[in-house]
Amino acid sequence: MNEIMAIFRKEIKTTFNSPIAFIVIVSFLVISNWLFFDYGDYPFFAINLADIRGLFNFASIVLLFFAPALSMRLIAEEKHHETLELLVTLPLTDVQIIMGKFLSIVALFAIILCGMLVAPITIANIGDLDMGIVFTSFVGFFLLGVSYLSLGLAASSFTKNQIVAYLMGLILIAVFFLINGISTTSGMMSTIIENLSIRFHYQNFFRGVIDSRDVLYFLSLSAISLLISIAALTNRKHA
Amino acid sequence: MIEIHNVSKHYGTTKAVNDISFTVKSGEILGFLGPNGAGKTTTMKMITCYMPPTSGHIKIDGVDVVENSMAVRRRIGYLPENTPLYDDMGVVEYLQFIADVRKISKDERKGALNRAIDVCGLGDVRHKDIHELSKGFRQRVGLAQAIIHDPDFLVLDEPTSGLDPNQIVEIRKLIRNLGREKTVIFSTHIMQEVQAISDRVLIINDGVIAAQGTLDELKAQENSKQIIFLELLGATQESVKSVFAEFPQLNIVEMSEGKSIKLQLSNDKQDDMRSSIFNSVIKNNWTLLEMRQHQASLEDIFRQLTSTGGMS
Repeated sequence: MNEIMAIFRKEIKTTFNSPIAFIVIVSFLVISNWLFFDYGDYPFFAINLADIRGLFNFASIVLLFFAPALSMRLIAEEKHHETLELLVTLPLTDVQIIMGKFLSIVALFAIILCGMLVAPITIANIGDLDMGIVFTSFVGFFLLGVSYLSLGLAASSFTKNQIVAYLMGLILIAVFFLINGISTTSGMMSTIIENLSIRFHYQNFFRGVIDSRDVLYFLSLSAISLLISIAALTNRKHA
Repeated sequence: MIEIHNVSKHYGTTKAVNDISFTVKSGEILGFLGPNGAGKTTTMKMITCYMPPTSGHIKIDGVDVVENSMAVRRRIGYLPENTPLYDDMGVVEYLQFIADVRKISKDERKGALNRAIDVCGLGDVRHKDIHELSKGFRQRVGLAQAIIHDPDFLVLDEPTSGLDPNQIVEIRKLIRNLGREKTVIFSTHIMQEVQAISDRVLIINDGVIAAQGTLDELKAQENSKQIIFLELLGATQESVKSVFAEFPQLNIVEMSEGKSIKLQLSNDKQDDMRSSIFNSVIKNNWTLLEMRQHQASLEDIFRQLTSTGGMS
């Protein structure tokens, strides 16, 4: 655990040595809230309903573009500067390296979560907001974010080019997000595809219930992504 | 003690390292010499637990690098070929991170940090960011990183590559000082470097060991074959050939005729043939313009051992 924390502390420090994290967090919050309050034919105030679900809907799409920007440097940068060679020969296991790095972006994501509280608090003051839905939506959004970031981390483990890491992460997340779009007919196949989709499971949280199947889906997606990241790191041994 | 037993490393079908064995005794400085791509870095990466050997065993003080990787890593300081630094960190911040990962306790950390900074001569730059440093100082930060936990073993991959001559001299001095209490393996493709730093040399070529021993041993091996250069006036190629045919141990390696005759003789036996040659020259009434014995330099040994077929 000490080793994981050592990597975690280093990542947090380096993150705030560059402005990328600030830019990502602030842009994400501004864009998500703007889309929710002011965009489209039925913006929040036009509907005149104390409903927060639109925010989380927009946020899941905006985060699709911003999450890989947070995760892209994690391994790719270490590969590019060849610091990875030192890291993997220090008394650290590959699992500890990946977990330390993963937790550091989850911590950044926690800042985003705090920022997401502003809209519900504001709305709760001017209308009658269903706090149950707010709570489950938050849980869903947290799980969604963790999955995005794990997928982004996996993408970062396969390249030393941060731009490639970003794009690969984006594509990977988009595929899982949109895959239910191809299930038009009903039947077994359709159900399977639907159940593989991030959007399908995410929207279930908007109903105000937390279904263990949805939670399990996001946790498995994250776990598999992290295992792939670890495997990519360990793969040097057989190169 | 570092023991390498029959170690091979294959990348696909290429054999980067092919069945090498050697030991490095405690307190020894071993120079690891070879042309680029000979297998030096691969061997070092296996010793430092970057990757396991395809076959064979590596033991550090009896501890296997694969079976007990973490225990080995704690005792080794490693400086990879491309100095692994985080440019956006400060010097102290970087060393603190390494100390943190290496679990140096809070009480000892300050002392360990100051000692590493002191030994590597980083006092003047300790408050700078790493991206501000010159190549020489970057290399020192890399070394400081490798010694911060006071390891018994140091593995340094081309520690002087890319430095200017003054920096090279300083880094060599630093390595020699570190070698007083630690077992050091360092790699280089420069012969003088070995001469300047190490006790013992191991020459590797095409993934196999071409030669090993102390510098004197290597020189003695090479010198055992005496090479003599001659320049003679008043002789002909035929007469020279017939005269030296009387000495079966002498072979004419090369001969050219211009105003004078220049030739190169090799001596198969140990005894010095120069006086016999001189006497024959006198007897035949030739004029001796030049006679010199070739002293094998380390470069010659290196070139001989690492050109195409290795040991021939």
